[in-house]
Amino acid sequence: MKTIFIGALCLLLALTAFGQGKQFTISGYLKDESNGEALIGANVFVREISGGTTANVYGFYSITLAEGSYNLDVSYVGYGDTHKVIDLTQDIRLDLELRSADAELETVVITSEAIDENVASIEMSTIELEMKAIEKLPAFAGEVDVLKSIQLLPGVSSVGEGTAGFNVRGGSVGQNLVLLDEAPVYQSSHLFGFFSVFNPDAVKDVKLYKGGIPTRYGGRLSSILDIRMKEGNNKEYDIAGGVGTVFSRLAVEGPIKKDKSSFIIAGRRSYADVLVRPFTNMLSDGAGMYFYDLTAKTNLNINDKNRVYVSGYLGRDVFSFDESQGFDWGNRTATVRWNHLYGNKLFSNFSAFYSNYDYGFSFGTNKLDKFDWAAEVSTWNFKPEFNWFLNVNNELTFGGEAILYGFEPANASTVNNGIRTDISLDRRKALETAVYLSNDQKLSNKLFAQYGVRFSYFNNLGGSLMTYGDTLAGVEKPLLSVTEKGDWESIASYQNFEPRASLRYQLSESSSVKASYNRMSQYIHQISNTTASTPIDIWQPSDNNIAPQMGNQVAMGYFRNIGGKRFETSAEVYYKWNKNQVDYIDGAELFINEFIASQLLSGVGRAYGLELYVKKNAGKLTGWVSYTLGKSELKVDGINFGNDRKNHEGNWYATRFDQRHNLKVAGFYDLTKRVSLSANFSFMSGTPTTFPTDRYMSAGYVIPYVSGSERNNFRIPNYHRLDASLTIKNVWRGKKNRSGNDHIVFSVYNLYARKNPFSIYFSQGRDRQMADAPQQTAAKQLSLIGTLIPAVTYNFKF
Amino acid sequence: MKKIIYIALIALGIGCETAIQPELKEAEEILVIDAWLTQKMERQKVMVSRSQPYFDNSYPSLTPGAQVTVEDLNTGVVYNFQEGADAYYWDPADAPLGEVGHTYKLEVTYGGETFEALSTLGRVPEVDTILYKYNSKDFNILESYYSAEFVAVDLVGPGDAYWIKAWKNGNYLSKPSEINIAFDAGLSPSQSVDGEVFHQVIRRDFVNPLDPLPDRKNYYHPPYKIGDSLYVEIHSIDPVAFEYLTGVILQTNRPGGFSELFATPLANVMTNVKSTNENSNTSVAGFFNMSAVSSGGGRITREIADEAKADAGK
Repeated sequence: MKTIFIGALCLLLALTAFGQGKQFTISGYLKDESNGEALIGANVFVREISGGTTANVYGFYSITLAEGSYNLDVSYVGYGDTHKVIDLTQDIRLDLELRSADAELETVVITSEAIDENVASIEMSTIELEMKAIEKLPAFAGEVDVLKSIQLLPGVSSVGEGTAGFNVRGGSVGQNLVLLDEAPVYQSSHLFGFFSVFNPDAVKDVKLYKGGIPTRYGGRLSSILDIRMKEGNNKEYDIAGGVGTVFSRLAVEGPIKKDKSSFIIAGRRSYADVLVRPFTNMLSDGAGMYFYDLTAKTNLNINDKNRVYVSGYLGRDVFSFDESQGFDWGNRTATVRWNHLYGNKLFSNFSAFYSNYDYGFSFGTNKLDKFDWAAEVSTWNFKPEFNWFLNVNNELTFGGEAILYGFEPANASTVNNGIRTDISLDRRKALETAVYLSNDQKLSNKLFAQYGVRFSYFNNLGGSLMTYGDTLAGVEKPLLSVTEKGDWESIASYQNFEPRASLRYQLSESSSVKASYNRMSQYIHQISNTTASTPIDIWQPSDNNIAPQMGNQVAMGYFRNIGGKRFETSAEVYYKWNKNQVDYIDGAELFINEFIASQLLSGVGRAYGLELYVKKNAGKLTGWVSYTLGKSELKVDGINFGNDRKNHEGNWYATRFDQRHNLKVAGFYDLTKRVSLSANFSFMSGTPTTFPTDRYMSAGYVIPYVSGSERNNFRIPNYHRLDASLTIKNVWRGKKNRSGNDHIVFSVYNLYARKNPFSIYFSQGRDRQMADAPQQTAAKQLSLIGTLIPAVTYNFKF
Repeated sequence: MKKIIYIALIALGIGCETAIQPELKEAEEILVIDAWLTQKMERQKVMVSRSQPYFDNSYPSLTPGAQVTVEDLNTGVVYNFQEGADAYYWDPADAPLGEVGHTYKLEVTYGGETFEALSTLGRVPEVDTILYKYNSKDFNILESYYSAEFVAVDLVGPGDAYWIKAWKNGNYLSKPSEINIAFDAGLSPSQSVDGEVFHQVIRRDFVNPLDPLPDRKNYYHPPYKIGDSLYVEIHSIDPVAFEYLTGVILQTNRPGGFSELFATPLANVMTNVKSTNENSNTSVAGFFNMSAVSSGGGRITREIADEAKADAGK
């Protein structure tokens, strides 16, 4: 294996020799003029070579050219273009600050020189949203939301209201890696998915990789959601906030030392409980129902070569019925990063971060009789990464990652009549490491490639090694033996090569075709057999019984801009094939179960689909239409085995989040300079569910029965919904020489009050029946939101 | 765990539910063999029937013509069950069915095929007392009320499983949400608590019926008023029956509302009934279990109520 690596490296290094004559480098940071925020992915285009580079996630770029005179165009979406003429006779450091397109302009001026980013970029199967776009969308309860917004784009869906997380291209919620300033966030939802944990006031950039995933990311099968926090305004103080129906927000940012160092601190708290308390006695005696989060970041620009960032997040949801009963969950993350430049071509970043997700619940009326359960997953991570801007045609990215996981599946006890019994489960540790290398290479003016490999290694360390015997698939596996291992002794280890490649061929200035392949491996698994993913799902590392999930994806796409850049269009197809997908035996006991592996099944999965996207960028009416045709299936022995009573060999079945059609329309219309309307419409095919065929009586109860043990043999009705909002700018601020600006948003969620189904379930009647009397059985369709939800939010900034 | 979440989430609900009548796939009408036999000195019944289409609300009728026996595998004694109108039955004469600690085999021969199931008759602790407690009004019940609790201590030694059945004023608490099972003194085998008084959830939560007020959503009648009575029976069950009933709860206890977020997909409940023919293609459901039974009861009189009130410091 090593030889392959060294060989590849030599090949790449050979590429550096291609540059002829004297070569010099232009490098620097690209920032927003108004607040000093780095412009992630801003473009540097050199007219003379019809090519260029893009700034990395810290806003750094570097381009090496032969001696000469060059015209540079620097551009970024929503910002005016900057043109520079450079006489290149020596290495040049060129830090530029771009001016945001004037907010008063009705349309963003589009220059014909600007390159068509969506067409020209190597990236496919990615979604990048600027906060400006997110802020314009009508939102649930009037609150803009990062996760709700990405669900309006192709390939991203959820199974409905009340579900935490999101599904990407037919993958499960636990197959998404959500990163906040590189630290993993295990639970991305507040209030069972009605809001995401990311405070929009503190978020700068949101990027979702659905396919063609670069080598620097790994560890999940379906997608990477990379959320970058604002650095904080290093020019002047800003206070922004909002007062909404469900919660209020406040963010403060400003320079610590002008142009050198800045900070941002942003918080939110919901107050439904505060408002409701006077009207109900349900929330007496210490009861509460709320969430809060706090996001903070600071950075220090030490000198031209060194920069340090520190950021953190803390959030919590609490549902308590009284002082001693209830449940709660929360994420904590902390990230320290150091950017260092070696010369002007090699950019490095070293990140160390910590992430913790803890959750639990308690019940019992007093100290003598109670039950407490808490669980957590912690991550300590170190991640060095290097961008080597070799020459105009090659940019090398390489680095490594070491993650130490700590799992605490149950820290639990029961107290009976004052006698406490500890029912905790052993902690688990695991180490996941990876090294990666990739090259962005311009093969010709038309052909561009990004290729590389990630090598990942996982080691489950210490604790009990359990072995189970073989049994009929779908039946609890018998425990054969338990061996205690030393604290850092290996229980099981796995390693995988994950090749990744993307190609782009430019057909014309305004159209291109792209193709990509990626392989992903996932070593930790979200264990959930409930209808929807919930905040109390546990995470389980791979061990000798649970193999890592493996996924492959190929995707192809056609990208075309029409009418300058007025319309962006794209069409993509993808096919995914996965193995070692986790499912559960019927009636699995997953909660506080030391022998959880005996309840798990393993199978293969496949998903494929077509994604269409049209976006209108300019004019009074802007917006997009997104359509996904998709299919997502699993085949697991022991599930859906029909009449194969002997071997229980499974047949393919649709996953819970399989959606055939998914249509999203978002529209924005500027009525006047101050008043704008927006609306979005969603249509999703009904998701699969299992309906019974028979009923029988046992022990006095009516029990449903599914012929052939079918799984997901029916679909709930389709989901559709229209939301609308009206925004009025400068209601008070910005008038009569008052500084800053503000806007008020009136929104209605579910405008035509559709009772969208969440699930259909079957049960016997709830009335008390006499024994031996016939029991009624019925099917019920449940809608979590059965009405329209109006909201008003006032937002300000000064 | 689920119970508390359910209560909370129902209270939260802004959701709504509508009854629907979807078209289902054709029923398979499989063979059902169900036998929950006890040591009570009363008629013991084995039900042999067919499953029926899901929305068919009629009471299942007995499938006639089967031979039903229960054999004590420790002694070789065979109990022959007679075919009756509504079940195959066996009437105890002077001794109950079976002995604690013995293993039994149910054998049903029907249509040329023999089905069998095994169950071990477990031991059962005595019901110690029935207590009543005074409670202030809370988020479910709008007035102060009395709740009942039975006290019993799990027998020392792990691996005992019990099903506690309760009657309020002589009416059996028969809802799926009231199925009360214990593994040793705790709630499940994975949370082993042995040889202690049963967990409070077992002692209290399932024997206090929550019957909704007719006119107010999410509020309930007080579980006990002065003059009411509680009678409980502890049935020892085979550990496999514990697993079975856990499955029954999962599949039948569907309170709806937000609790659906935590619901698991509909799936078939396991069975311990098997054809003796390994290559049989007959689908069969149901369960065979042997129980020893202990019982106890008590009525809440005014004196007991006043004492409970005084204990609560009211």
